[in-house]
Amino acid sequence: MSEIFPKWTNRLPLYLIIGALLVGGGVTAGVWYYFTPKYTRVGYEPIQPVGFPHSVHVDQLGMDCRYCHSTVEKSWYSNVPSSSTCMNCHNQVLKEDPRLALIRESAQTGKPVPWVQVHKVPDFVYFNHSVHVNRGISCVHCHGQINKMDEVYHAKPLSMSFCLDCHRNPAPNLRPKDKITQLDWNPHEHLPKDWGKKAVKEWNVNASQNCSACHR
Amino acid sequence: MKTIPPPCSEPLSGQRYWRSLDQLADSPEFQQWVEREFPAGASEFSDPIGRRHFIKIMSASFLLAGLGVTGCRRPEEKILPFGKAPENFIHGVAQFYATAMPTRGSAIPLVVKAHDGRPTKIEGNKDHPDSNGATDTFAQASILGLYDPDRSQRFTKGGNEVPREQAFDALKQLAAAVAANGGAGLAFLVERSSSPSRARLRDLIMQKFSKAQWIIYEPLHLEMNRTVAGNLAGQPLSPYYKLDAAKVILSLDCDFIGSEQDTYIHCRNYARGRKITKPTDTMNRLYSVEGLLTQTGMNADHRLRVPTTSALAVTAAIAAQIVDNPQVKALAGKFALPSNVKQEWIVECANDLKANQGASLVMAGYRQPGAVHVLANLINAALQNNGKTVLFLNTPQEAATGTITDLANGLRNGQVNTLVVLGGNPVLNAPADFDWKTLQRRAQNIVRLGYYEDETFPITDWHFPMAHYLESWGDARTADGTLVAIQPLIAPLFGGVTELEVLGVFAGLQSLRPYDIARETFGLLAGGDSSDVAWKKFLHNGFLANSAAAPVNAAFAPDKITSALNSAAAADLPAKEKLEIVFQRDYKIDDGRYNNNGWLQELPDPITKTVWDGLVLVSRVTAADYGVVNDDVVEIELNGRKIQGPIWIQPGLADYSVSLALGYGRQRSSTGGTGRVGDKVGLYNGYDLRTTASEHAAVGGKLRRTGAVYKVACTQEHGSMEGRPIIREATLEQFKKKPDFAKNMDLESHSDYVPKDPKTGFPVMIYEHPYKGFELRKGQSGVKLTGLKFASDIHQWGMSIDLNACVGCSSCVLACQSENNVPIVGKEQVYRNREMHWLRIDRYFSGAYDRAKPQLIDDPQVVNQPMLCQHCENAPCESVCPVNATVHDEEGLNVMAYNRCVGTRYCSNNCPYKVRRFNFFDYNKRQLGPKLYKNPITTVGDDGKWELARWWNDPASSSRPEDEWELSKLVKNPDVTVRMRGVMEKCTFCVQRIEGAKIAQKVKVGQSGDVRVPDGVITPACAQACPAEAIVFGNMLDPNSRVSQLKRQERDYTVLGFLDTRPRLTYLARLRNPNPKMPDYYETPLNIAEYEKREGGGEGGGYGGGHGEPNNPEAKPAAEKGIH
Repeated sequence: MSEIFPKWTNRLPLYLIIGALLVGGGVTAGVWYYFTPKYTRVGYEPIQPVGFPHSVHVDQLGMDCRYCHSTVEKSWYSNVPSSSTCMNCHNQVLKEDPRLALIRESAQTGKPVPWVQVHKVPDFVYFNHSVHVNRGISCVHCHGQINKMDEVYHAKPLSMSFCLDCHRNPAPNLRPKDKITQLDWNPHEHLPKDWGKKAVKEWNVNASQNCSACHR
Repeated sequence: MKTIPPPCSEPLSGQRYWRSLDQLADSPEFQQWVEREFPAGASEFSDPIGRRHFIKIMSASFLLAGLGVTGCRRPEEKILPFGKAPENFIHGVAQFYATAMPTRGSAIPLVVKAHDGRPTKIEGNKDHPDSNGATDTFAQASILGLYDPDRSQRFTKGGNEVPREQAFDALKQLAAAVAANGGAGLAFLVERSSSPSRARLRDLIMQKFSKAQWIIYEPLHLEMNRTVAGNLAGQPLSPYYKLDAAKVILSLDCDFIGSEQDTYIHCRNYARGRKITKPTDTMNRLYSVEGLLTQTGMNADHRLRVPTTSALAVTAAIAAQIVDNPQVKALAGKFALPSNVKQEWIVECANDLKANQGASLVMAGYRQPGAVHVLANLINAALQNNGKTVLFLNTPQEAATGTITDLANGLRNGQVNTLVVLGGNPVLNAPADFDWKTLQRRAQNIVRLGYYEDETFPITDWHFPMAHYLESWGDARTADGTLVAIQPLIAPLFGGVTELEVLGVFAGLQSLRPYDIARETFGLLAGGDSSDVAWKKFLHNGFLANSAAAPVNAAFAPDKITSALNSAAAADLPAKEKLEIVFQRDYKIDDGRYNNNGWLQELPDPITKTVWDGLVLVSRVTAADYGVVNDDVVEIELNGRKIQGPIWIQPGLADYSVSLALGYGRQRSSTGGTGRVGDKVGLYNGYDLRTTASEHAAVGGKLRRTGAVYKVACTQEHGSMEGRPIIREATLEQFKKKPDFAKNMDLESHSDYVPKDPKTGFPVMIYEHPYKGFELRKGQSGVKLTGLKFASDIHQWGMSIDLNACVGCSSCVLACQSENNVPIVGKEQVYRNREMHWLRIDRYFSGAYDRAKPQLIDDPQVVNQPMLCQHCENAPCESVCPVNATVHDEEGLNVMAYNRCVGTRYCSNNCPYKVRRFNFFDYNKRQLGPKLYKNPITTVGDDGKWELARWWNDPASSSRPEDEWELSKLVKNPDVTVRMRGVMEKCTFCVQRIEGAKIAQKVKVGQSGDVRVPDGVITPACAQACPAEAIVFGNMLDPNSRVSQLKRQERDYTVLGFLDTRPRLTYLARLRNPNPKMPDYYETPLNIAEYEKREGGGEGGGYGGGHGEPNNPEAKPAAEKGIH
């Protein structure tokens, strides 16, 4: 019988299998890394219609988060302030500044400023701000150092595993109520070591890991 | 954000960049973008040579961006806050406003939940003195009517749209024209209303237009008892029934649970007289005399099945036993009783009433002629019930100048030339012998205020769109006379106007604003304090305190009694050749007004469990005589008029009596008809047959088979429990002898071979309890699970449903649908058993077991059981989900994660209670009907656009018509996911309310430990809507909570308990209270007799303690039983 196939084809299946494994592994690794919220969401910094710098307002001027995000303690939704809130100061400060033209127009006419949403959980997740804020979780844990941001970017992945990491062990993330909006305050420097554990026990903190807590 | 963001302009794609790279490279946006994306490479960008190199690299990524691969960014979504925020508005927190739903001559006090300025859920007003916070089915479904795309949205003249100002100007001119001759020729045709504002405007109008006619017309005269009482006493009187004070109740074709006015009050009071906690408690007893099987008859302890028109004879016979009036006794002798009525029945019923003087109650239904009502009043008076179980209230009632017959004559004679029709639909529902379509057109100027552009619409000159009550200012009076406010939850969506505005034009009011009109009325009625503070309090509470009418001593004029009794005419007894035709107030669409309401159309009728149809109900005997079976189309003829409809055999219906529904069989038409939902629903329209001679019931009908067949969709064809004790009941006597009868039935109690837990006496679980299993396994696997509390020691939820109280009204079904965004699926899908109701009411018939088989269903006993997810601890559904989409949470709930479900449907397969519903299609985004089946790849939409292209452009759009889609989104509850095709859903015990309450408690206490939600804070939608207070939900860990107390009762049992699923939902067994002296007395309820026969209960089955089975006198409370 004549040799139809050259000799190197004997090793072809082996190479194919090894190649497939490598490619499969590579694709898996790629998806594992690149397709997670940690990669796709962290760093997202959309251009806002009005360049509002939190660094100036919070860090320099010392405004509390809740001055603008006023419903964060009462509702699941933490509101972006209406233009009338901005005008509380900006009807005197920088009142002719062109950068604030959109705000002035909005407060005047009622037309909303089209802010681009940065932090969003999927529609099947029901996250409630008020219960977290009132029970000792600071803004910084999920939103990062907003007080240092010139424009808001997505600092944490806000994936389900991110939420579960805290829900599985809430003690290190708790802090006293009056320090919730102090984003520079590090609880580990100021609180005794077992403060968190004691708080969990005392306050009956039951960070539920069950589906019904968030998926309704 | 749970709202779908409005579509924003598409982000720049790589294709655009590809074309004009250099150009764009200079734009400031691009520079900004580059800086952000590549902070490292940004400096390279300003250098020209570096820029070229940069663009080369970028070009590849631009190409990919055009294909949508690079970046994988989610689409930009916008947040649009207010320019100027309104006060007290917090997005995400619902607002509640008190209002009321006007119901003919009464009202239901409501508190309506609003999200973002639009109403989403209707609840009752607990604070109102005559309400326990419950509603009826019509109130729950009325919110869908608000968002009905088929509503009238325009002012028209001669069918063409005109601006609002023009319509009002024309109205003012019309008013001026008729003012000239004192209103001669002016007639108002209005619906019945209890509104004092409207009455005040009526008085103003009648003063101005002394010759005008004010005609109040309702096709169903639910006010019959008021009319008769008023006639007898010579003053306007409203009978108010205190059913909770009555020990013996006799209903003379009075369906006070389902069809009369104020069913929400009657259900509550009746159930309060029915509930017991211990064997020494007393229960009321209900006798029912009726021809149709009504909800009241379903619940009766003794039911006499006679044709509707023969109720007069029975009433006279009973009255003769009680009332000492020779005319009454003569009347009894005059009328012949139907052959199946035993004299003993009459006598013993009368004796029972006599034995309970001052604590008995006789009620006559609206279908019955005046003589029956007079007799009922006489019996009540003779039994000293007046002032105790029946109060006569002096509530003001709007006076009419005549009836619709007078108006018809006026139109015929040409006396009426200006007709103002407010609401109603006379072309549809006026008696057929008037031929209202032609008759109404005789008036020269017809103005109509209509909610829909319906059958009356083409016969009008000026049409004004009506505002829904949720958009209106106004007022009303509830049954006890309390003044309630009607305040809007939203500005009229389509510029609708209220009755008050139209009447205000005629009354010549300064301000036509309904707010001003209602405010002025309040000022006149509030008595002492009518300040703004009092007005605000009135609006806040929803009612005016201490405004209930005082009962009066009603003295009936003897001559009125005599004349009423003289006019009593006996109807022929129906026979095969002259059938009795009875027109029923449909439990779903009322008199036809809710024809376009999808929720009500799809609500299974409480008696027949059919949907989307009007049926021709006949009894078994009638059907056998004519040789018809279910689904056969027959022709019914009455006085020369004919209709064709499908037969449905109804157990418990009187023989040779045919029950017809009103208001089906309508069509949608461009000139005027019903809407998209009601289009062609039902084969016949009962109004076609209904004449002045046969308003409610008439004898003389004929039936003829046509040979055609018509599919009727029924959600429960299985009418018998076949001897399985799914619903456990006993008579009161049996309960007294053996209080724990419910725990000693079915396999779980006949199981001496199963090992018992020594502590509780309950069989040891055959499955490993999920909570216990975890404890065992934790040590084994060495898994470290910090912070995980597997079984919460703060809350463990449970529910108890008292079958003694449940009357089967189905308010809970609609409340659940409203609260949880449960879709409707359409008749075809219901026919395939794909209805989506999370909560269903199972209705079973049981016949006397010692009769020959075919007659089993002639005089059935009926039982109702709400069936919803039982939240089993050993849930069969949880262990079979391949993707773990349904899990058990730490508080005992069986939870559904919709986003995980892949649609295997194994869970539904495994559920023994069959309470899981699967979304076979996308019922929200697709039009119901055959279009559900179309796939997007091969379908072209109605607008000619390819379905797939439409979806690609905007995944948030739907294939429904735009107006339907936009409005249907508004009624959804934002706290609950709207499920998509392919996902399983089921009752969640309103987990959104549970979580909301837990969160609110945590927010309230902040950083402290008191996180347990107090009892009564959480009420699932079904529990809140139930007028009989049958459903109770709460924390089983709290021994003092209502639910724990109920579960400790001896009547508590588990459905299908032998499966050892350990449900958190348990039922309290039903009790009947038959009278041992009655000829149809039964020692055992019929379905239990069937059970005993099947289980071979020669030794007394579950009741006599036979089988040598040790009873368990130390059964521990359910709270302990539930958690191991």
